[in-house]
Amino acid sequence: MLILPKSSFKGGVHPLHNAGEGKTQTKGVPIKKYTPDTVAIPMAMHLGVPATPIVKKGDTVLVGQVIGEAQHPRSLAVHSSVSGEVIAVEERMQLGATPSTCVVIRNDFCDTWVDGIKGFGNVEEVDQSVIIPAIRDAGICGMGGACFPTHVKLTLPAGKVCDTIILNGSECETYMTCDHRLMLERPLKIIDGLRACMRALGVERGVVAIEDNKPDAIRAIADAAKGRKGVEVQVLKTKYPQGSEKQIIKAVTGKEVPSGGLPIDIGAIVMNVATAAAIADAIVDGKPLIDRITTVTGHVAVPSNLEVPIGTMIQDAITACDGYGDTPCKIIMGGGMTGLCAHDDTISIAKGSGGIVVLNEKEAKLMEEGPCIRCARCVSTCPAGLNPCLIRKLCDNEDYEGAKRENVMDCLLCGCCTYACPAHRFLTATCKIAKERIAKMRR
Amino acid sequence: MKLKVSTAPHVHSKNSVERIMLDVIIALLPTAAVGVYLFGYMAGLHIIVGVASAVLAEYAWQKLNKKTVTISDFSAALTGFLVALNVPVNAPVWITFIGSVVAIIMVKQLFGGIGDNFLNPALTARAILLASWPTHMNAFTSPSMFGTVDAVSAATPLTANYVSGASDAASSATSVAVNYSYTDLLLGNIPGTIGEVCKIAILIGFVYLLIRGVITWHIPVIMVGAVALFTWVLGGNEGVFTGDPLYAVLSGGLLFGAVFMATDYTTNPMTRKGEVIYAVGCGLIVALIREYGSYHEGVTYAILIMNIVTPLLDKYIAPKLYGRVKKNA
Amino acid sequence: MPNKKVRMSTIFLNGIITENPTFRLVLGMCPTLAVTTAAINGVGMGLAATMVLIGSNVVISLLRNIIPDKVRIPCFIVVICSFVTIVQMLMQAYVQDLYASLGMFIPLIVVNCIILARAEAFACKNGVLASAIDGLGMGLGFTLSLTIIASIRELIGSGKIFGIDVFGGGYEPMLLMILPAGGFITLGLLLGILNSVTAKSAMKKEA
Repeated sequence: MLILPKSSFKGGVHPLHNAGEGKTQTKGVPIKKYTPDTVAIPMAMHLGVPATPIVKKGDTVLVGQVIGEAQHPRSLAVHSSVSGEVIAVEERMQLGATPSTCVVIRNDFCDTWVDGIKGFGNVEEVDQSVIIPAIRDAGICGMGGACFPTHVKLTLPAGKVCDTIILNGSECETYMTCDHRLMLERPLKIIDGLRACMRALGVERGVVAIEDNKPDAIRAIADAAKGRKGVEVQVLKTKYPQGSEKQIIKAVTGKEVPSGGLPIDIGAIVMNVATAAAIADAIVDGKPLIDRITTVTGHVAVPSNLEVPIGTMIQDAITACDGYGDTPCKIIMGGGMTGLCAHDDTISIAKGSGGIVVLNEKEAKLMEEGPCIRCARCVSTCPAGLNPCLIRKLCDNEDYEGAKRENVMDCLLCGCCTYACPAHRFLTATCKIAKERIAKMRR
Repeated sequence: MKLKVSTAPHVHSKNSVERIMLDVIIALLPTAAVGVYLFGYMAGLHIIVGVASAVLAEYAWQKLNKKTVTISDFSAALTGFLVALNVPVNAPVWITFIGSVVAIIMVKQLFGGIGDNFLNPALTARAILLASWPTHMNAFTSPSMFGTVDAVSAATPLTANYVSGASDAASSATSVAVNYSYTDLLLGNIPGTIGEVCKIAILIGFVYLLIRGVITWHIPVIMVGAVALFTWVLGGNEGVFTGDPLYAVLSGGLLFGAVFMATDYTTNPMTRKGEVIYAVGCGLIVALIREYGSYHEGVTYAILIMNIVTPLLDKYIAPKLYGRVKKNA
Repeated sequence: MPNKKVRMSTIFLNGIITENPTFRLVLGMCPTLAVTTAAINGVGMGLAATMVLIGSNVVISLLRNIIPDKVRIPCFIVVICSFVTIVQMLMQAYVQDLYASLGMFIPLIVVNCIILARAEAFACKNGVLASAIDGLGMGLGFTLSLTIIASIRELIGSGKIFGIDVFGGGYEPMLLMILPAGGFITLGLLLGILNSVTAKSAMKKEA
């Protein structure tokens, strides 16, 4: 067992630094299980082709039953997270005002599991070839927010070799503490999941990278990793966006992912710690991904880390926290830096939803944009090494070709530039629009 | 339920343009206070006129052109403050007034307002004043400490140095060199403009700006370092490597310019590498003008020249891209 | 003769206002910036250029059917040179002071863009009378602009207009205005004002 010295990357910011990154409310609160009356499970929770619903209104479903089939190799199955009756299969607006087919199930609170769920055995002994199919069948995608199907990530492209698997436990995003609590309460599962992936790919080195503002989690993981082959713990400096894929690779391996390339190009795979825990569940117990830990914080009466079935609606999660603490003005799905705004509190918690943050009117106040004073704070904070203020100038003139030349496609949309801008300019939003426009031009 | 929807990020730093400008103004207060202490109440009058006329000019211009009035961001006040600190106390007050108006209208607003000026407004105003009324702008007096204002103009440390340097070879016996001690230079007991004399007050402001994170150390330190280096190399009377770097650093407006003028966001490069080149360029030009030019003081022109170079530096020096792929061409 | 029906007064006013060589075409910047330190210099320079313009326009218009197209520019220059030499000698003989203060810029009229531009754009395509009037209009437009710029610079830069003290003893002239930088600043500001005024009136017309 080895704890490596602190490391980091270039750029970045320290959002809400004097308020404990917004995590003080929930980082000491143990994970609490909560099951709602109804769940609305979206078929598009992962990046790629949505699953096709195979149940209809009136059907009775059991926990763990497949309700959405993957009809494409890069798609994922969706499993029922509760047992009960399907009361609707309908289009519902999800995050970002995109509609998705949802299977709405009324919970009968019997918690009856579907037949045929059984584990494959100990992660150190299970046959290597069953690991990746098991991960696929369990419907696991990246639970840190990007929702990329995990089995696709673990299927190496021809000619590529992976030498390091990095588990991302940095949780650099503001407000969120779900990974922190998971590492603290279920470190063994995380290490099991990491070992399963290492064995599946024959990788010698697995690193759990954790920011130094979570010393208790570092200790818990280090203890759990004792005696496990090839597992290291890497302490990272607390800085946003430390948990971004490319930044964490730079911090852990010292190497940079080539612009436009993938982490596997330099032999690295990055996974969230929650994903690893889900993988452990899938291998050891055969349990599909049907629940996750979500931090509900901000202006709710009792901020908590809830373990909820996938498909739980925001309003139910808020009820589990004894309701709102102040009149809600803005509800963010995810953290303060990258989270998307919920337009309504009926949106479902999906596989990648790590947090719900309720902001009151004062916090949700929109800043008015001022003229750029060329202070270059956006340049010095940009972890991707871009010049956001120049990109903004080009985009204002609709020069998206120019923005492309300025490497806007390498933008992580981490929000550091907007965060740091003293003139409150919406630089990240501009980069997002530019990226979408350029992607459209390519097609 | 009615919820606000906006793009990420949803948290913002407490940075704001107002706060930054206010910080610089606060950093200038020690310098201004010492200026008033050394040169008397007239220095205070200059400062009041400078700030008031800059703010009024900006207000009037934006009202006349039906633009949003931005005087509440303190940038006009700061410009006026800097203009006032850049004139000698014996200059008539209307000099400061014209300087502020020129800085705001001609240099800042005509080019599009805050953030769009390609030259430092206060410095350009100083250059224009210097070219227009050289007698007033060079009427330096020794600090009077609230005594009777000394109307006899005195040689600034640089002029003194210049005279001694030039006449050294000819007749060192008749040289009228007035060399000031390092202590006088440091404390500000020397003739000069209102703001530039007391180096300690400037350094206090510098430290404040560093602590507040308004500026980084790079530009001021590198610029002053470059002046010291090049003066040491070029400046001596007995060939190269005999110059007096400390005297060069402590005399004239170098420290004031390096801390408050060269660090102006709008007119310095955006990347660290660009900033280093910019600062070295400033330092080199200061040393060259002081040693070989017909002016005794080169800080104003050095910074203005490098202001003009800034867009070029920004064009050719991009920040280092994460994961840059080297092209083999 | 496509322009035959165009009225002579239009041609004349064209040079002074609509296509003012300094403020509209932005031609002949070298003398504009260099000699406008005093109003009298502006007038002198302008009139000298006007003389050359009228003369060269007339001669070039007369020769327009004889000059081969391929060598027209050298021919124009030779004609212009002759007139510049005449004007230079006349000035040396009769207005010594002005000649001394304009100095090098009188022979440099040869390369003044306005004169060559009018030869190329107007005189070699139009009749003698029209060309003469165009030369007069353009020349007077040039003179007018120069005089305006020079008056402003002289007024602010030395407190006088045509050498007459305007403000009395109390005024402290802004030296910058009679230095080269002052020329750029005055010209820039005047161009800006004119552009914003015309843009506004154009908008009013559209509305």
